[in-house]
Amino acid sequence: MWSISDKGEREFTGGKEDWAAVAHIAENCPGFKPDDEDEMVADEAVSCYNCRYRRWTIKSFVCCK
Amino acid sequence: MKILVSIDDTDTMKMDGVEVRGTGELSGMIKQAIEDQRWGRCEPITRHQLLIHPDIPYTSHNSSMCFEADIEHVFLKPLIDFASDFLARESTPDSDPGLCVAVTDRISRPGRLIAFGYMAKNYVLTKLAAYNLAETLGIHLSEHGGTGQGVIGALAGAGLRLSGNDGRFKGKLKIKAENNMIKAGDICSRVKVDMVKCLEEGIVLQDDDMVILGDHIKPVWLYGKSVLLVQAIDQGVASPACWQTCSKSQLKDF
Repeated sequence: MWSISDKGEREFTGGKEDWAAVAHIAENCPGFKPDDEDEMVADEAVSCYNCRYRRWTIKSFVCCK
Repeated sequence: MKILVSIDDTDTMKMDGVEVRGTGELSGMIKQAIEDQRWGRCEPITRHQLLIHPDIPYTSHNSSMCFEADIEHVFLKPLIDFASDFLARESTPDSDPGLCVAVTDRISRPGRLIAFGYMAKNYVLTKLAAYNLAETLGIHLSEHGGTGQGVIGALAGAGLRLSGNDGRFKGKLKIKAENNMIKAGDICSRVKVDMVKCLEEGIVLQDDDMVILGDHIKPVWLYGKSVLLVQAIDQGVASPACWQTCSKSQLKDF
């Protein structure tokens, strides 16, 4: 589910459209914090895609928490 | 005169428990200050997505924020001075904020500014290219901390807003309607929406077409208008409405 980059960053391997998986991850993540409303893209309120600590990459996102 | 005010790269990712204001919030504060000081009237803010690339030092999503304002000539310099000081003061210390203020009627070749905006969605650009273009077109562009890389996104944001066909509006609209159902014409008369249009097809709703409102009512910037996108409701569902507003995930590419 996660790959580790050369920089030691955790990148989600499911890409930018795996809505159910990132909702499940975020629901169980103590570090989840909602981003500004304008930056939210997932319909599920609690989702890595809506988290302040996700940093978008070309294919997916990196978890910065 | 009409101006575009665009900012970018004002924040950093919060990691130490300290609240960080996003670029959208700072843009909103500048807009509010313009109106509070009676320098002019402002239009809503649009968010413009730029390229995601390892060579670009964005915070988390690489977007810029822009709004249009109609001000008197005499307030242009005070406005630029204010916004410059504001960004230097309010941006996060590790950020690289940039400010662009373009007088719409004075842009010598608007097509070049629009092209720069679209280039920034697809290519890695340089500060030098941004400054050169701003100088050529007679646009104010300035940096207010860090590396100043935000000038690229700030200039691009102005170009994309000027294009009339990019971005979604900051914030979401609140519309009261019985059973969350309303005519398209009433949406346009009650809030800042110029057109209600189908997301996937070129159908523009008529005033009497009924729309079910979701909890995410956010227009996008298309055709130089504030456009609320809707999708068709499954014909098997018994409802007087044939349309419903699009969700966050459906609007993510705007």
